Amino acid sequence: MKLSGITFKEESKIDLLELFEKTLDDDGYIVEIDNVNQRVLTPKGEEIHISEWAGVIKGSETFVKSDAFSLMEIAKKIE
Amino acid sequence: MSVFEKLRTIFEGKFGDIFANNTIKLFDFSKNVSHVLELKDGQKLGLDVSKATPDEKKQIKEEIIDVIVQSQDESFFLNKSEEKTKQIKRNLPINSDEDLLKFYKDKLNPEMFRALETSIVVRNSWKKGEDITELKRDISWKYPSFGNNICNLVTRNYFEEYFKELYEEMLEQEDFSIISYQEEVERIVESLPYMVFINRHKSYEEFSGEVKFKMDRLRKYGTEKLKIHALGKDNVDKALKIATEYRDDHGITIERKSNPSRTIITIIFRF
Repeated sequence: MKLSGITFKEESKIDLLELFEKTLDDDGYIVEIDNVNQRVLTPKGEEIHISEWAGVIKGSETFVKSDAFSLMEIAKKIE
Repeated sequence: MSVFEKLRTIFEGKFGDIFANNTIKLFDFSKNVSHVLELKDGQKLGLDVSKATPDEKKQIKEEIIDVIVQSQDESFFLNKSEEKTKQIKRNLPINSDEDLLKFYKDKLNPEMFRALETSIVVRNSWKKGEDITELKRDISWKYPSFGNNICNLVTRNYFEEYFKELYEEMLEQEDFSIISYQEEVERIVESLPYMVFINRHKSYEEFSGEVKFKMDRLRKYGTEKLKIHALGKDNVDKALKIATEYRDDHGITIERKSNPSRTIITIIFRF
């Protein structure tokens, strides 16, 4: 896995979520656009608040959180 | 086709290019706005799709993002998160750090081990003069009862020395279990704000002064206890001698907990 160097800005988060067919529920958690009761989970089963969303990696568009522990899992895999 | 060339294709006929100091801005003549897309440094591309049309967004998703993520197995991250990932990557535990983690892997509970590993990343980053605020904050938020403390203890090399010595001392006890060691480490780490560690690096007088200073401060701010922890016979004796200084103080109760061979002691002052 690599870091692509292609990133997005904070202001683009909502637009990008739509591209991934996701949206936010009333509490600010990322949910499926066609089922707002279904919160998106990380591979570890964690719900993701929009403020905690880091981006996506491979694996059916796996959503990643931005905390140090989540990013450390990514960092260990990077070539 | 490079990402930039793909973007030119998507927005062809609508945009012009402006080159300035390696920053390339795509200008939307139809709307007379810029900053829709920027290529900075020749190395990175920051995508701001908020001003793209629905069709353009769809094209960006299919022709750029999906290609990056699915075909090329690369990340598509918030700019700050990519920087943070790079910071973590360059500070991952190596060499003696890895040996340390190997030592503790089967000795600490999983949460404390994770916090230890991440704290080592923080220490490595700090030694390079990097900003560790956010990394430390993440550890504190994930483990509110001990995250900040373990970070501080790692920075002061307590896991290279003190907690290894503790393990060796406890191992010699007949009733030793790894659970008892884990619990003792947790107790010590969580007590750090009101803990004084007695060791061979300072004299009795220095520790006596430190205990008095800390006790006065804790009292002032409403914390009603102070703990002293010591390993090894000489240090245990030092700790007991300090405790005798307060035996006639009726405002303080003193509790002593030690192992049978008196090579480990925790003294709790309550006031």
